[in-house]
Amino acid sequence: MSVSAATGTRVSGRQRQRLVGRLMADGLARFGAAIVATTLILAIIGPWIVPYDPQSTTAAFSEPPPPILDWPKLLIATLFQGAPAPHWFGTDNAGLDVFSRVIAAPRTDLFIALAAGSISAILGTAIGLLTGFSRNVFTEMVMRVSDLLQSFPVFITAMILVSLSGRSAQNIIITLGLVYTPVFIRLTRAEVVVQMTRGYVEAARALGNSSWRVAVFHVLPNSIVPALIQLSTTVGFCILLTAGLSFVGAGIRPPAPEWGLMIAQGGPQMITGAWWMSVFPGFAISLTILGYAALGHALEQAYD
Amino acid sequence: MLRFIGLRIIAAIAQAIGITILVFFLMRWLPADPVAQMVGTNASAEAMAQARTQLGLDVPVFRQLSDFLGFTSHLGAPGLLQGSLGRSWITSKPVLEEVLEFLPVTLELITYSMFVAFALAIPIGMISATNPNGVVARASFVWGLFAGSQPEFWWGLMFAFVFFFVLQQAGLPHAPPPLGRLSPMLDAPAHITGFIVLDALMQGQFKIAGDAAMHLMLPVGTLVFVISGPIVKMVRQNMGRVLASDYMLYAQLAGLTRWQVGRYALRGGLGPSLTLVGFIYGFLIGGAVPVEVIYSLNGLGEYSVRAVLQLDFPAIQGAVLVIAFVSLIAYLIVDCIHALVDPRITL
Repeated sequence: MSVSAATGTRVSGRQRQRLVGRLMADGLARFGAAIVATTLILAIIGPWIVPYDPQSTTAAFSEPPPPILDWPKLLIATLFQGAPAPHWFGTDNAGLDVFSRVIAAPRTDLFIALAAGSISAILGTAIGLLTGFSRNVFTEMVMRVSDLLQSFPVFITAMILVSLSGRSAQNIIITLGLVYTPVFIRLTRAEVVVQMTRGYVEAARALGNSSWRVAVFHVLPNSIVPALIQLSTTVGFCILLTAGLSFVGAGIRPPAPEWGLMIAQGGPQMITGAWWMSVFPGFAISLTILGYAALGHALEQAYD
Repeated sequence: MLRFIGLRIIAAIAQAIGITILVFFLMRWLPADPVAQMVGTNASAEAMAQARTQLGLDVPVFRQLSDFLGFTSHLGAPGLLQGSLGRSWITSKPVLEEVLEFLPVTLELITYSMFVAFALAIPIGMISATNPNGVVARASFVWGLFAGSQPEFWWGLMFAFVFFFVLQQAGLPHAPPPLGRLSPMLDAPAHITGFIVLDALMQGQFKIAGDAAMHLMLPVGTLVFVISGPIVKMVRQNMGRVLASDYMLYAQLAGLTRWQVGRYALRGGLGPSLTLVGFIYGFLIGGAVPVEVIYSLNGLGEYSVRAVLQLDFPAIQGAVLVIAFVSLIAYLIVDCIHALVDPRITL
């Protein structure tokens, strides 16, 4: 009697917990989606809506941003009275407008991250499907190589690959794509192996479908979800690694608008009190990655 | 058990050497030209050819590899078989010596960070698991999501700015210093473990130990900030799973106090979290690079950045080998601890 009473309260407690969890996940999903959408839109139109050219110097060097209380007044003056746009986030020590660069940077960062994420997802899913679907000596070898690649120190490997192949966006994309492929191989393969034991695979085979048809049209659609969820997280990691590489001087070359580069260039100025050069791009990265992580988490919850 | 550890150590050595050989080929296959970097792009063809011969890059790649491994030695230098990683092309010092000088700095930084992060994460994770609707649980959930993937190099700068610049401007006398490992006036303690705080404490130099600890506060704080998120999440999930299991229900029904139940749950739930420790430790050895750069700690990460930017091939190979080996050993140690903590696992 007491046992059932105890479990009764347990269940209701857990239900409430699940409800709270779902609401939270829902709010998170909206938050994440909003950030992802904003960065995507900025990646497309960012360089066109900037008040100043993100790569050419202005007359103002190391100018601090206007006080936050003056912002509404300045905004009205710029929009309706034709006054020149203020340097909302100040200027850096080369005279570049920080606001314009923060807005223009998603074109660099997001493009790299999305391209690299897609490469690793497509490559990893394909290899994962292959190694999970037909298990023989060759695919076992592929898995061993994948394991070896996964035990590479990521940051250092990316640094070596990028700086030795030339610090261009294209090389960063290829490098990050390769570095994050093993994760997708592992995820997809694990899912495929589970799906292979299901009845529908045998049924599809019995109906006379060729192996590759079974693999691509029957197994793949049922085992791709974990990889799609992982994609959101991986894009976040790619943004982080892109910025980290340029921070240590092994990524995109200046004066391209890129968040990590801006943080690196503003860093030494911070000690002298000029905080605005790296604080604003840092906020941008921090918020962007949080958005992608939140979306990934919400998707994961919804899938489970 | 001993046999298992021995086999795993041999496997780790083999894997680390495998990684290094892959990196070895990659570096020579990629278009960067270390010779041009060293003698300058305007150098004459003879100077280029001479430098190429001196660096041992004029022979076929497989010959270079067998030189590196120590099977042959056409420059008369020892190889890996003789226990040498070659000499740095920039400093001309033996790479092994350099790497072993820089490694303890990184190890000290990440070891302290792991300890602090765990000391924080275990109680927070336990409280969140036992009371999943509480304030702590919700805060730790948001924290795990937030701190799990943040630009640590930016947070490091922010910490340096807030604690050093802002607080010093505000008149705080003892702001943690943001650069280096020791104040310039102090001499480093004699080398015992390479962990500067431990070395100073072991020799009774409390002033130096205090100064070194102050210097480590900001870098350790930055790393703890970044890695505590996933650890808290992991501890909470594992504790939650253990608490929902039948044997925990039994322990509760048997009338044990909450603390006793918690202690049993901790034992069952900590094992999987330990796996994460190994993972993060291995990740940080090669991944704490930007934090080392910000605080000029002169660790292995900074060493490898320098080696990569200067195209110093032997130094890059040495750094990769040591980093890969240490992280593989970290996984091994965690597996052993896992087996000690969790009686269900035998090695």
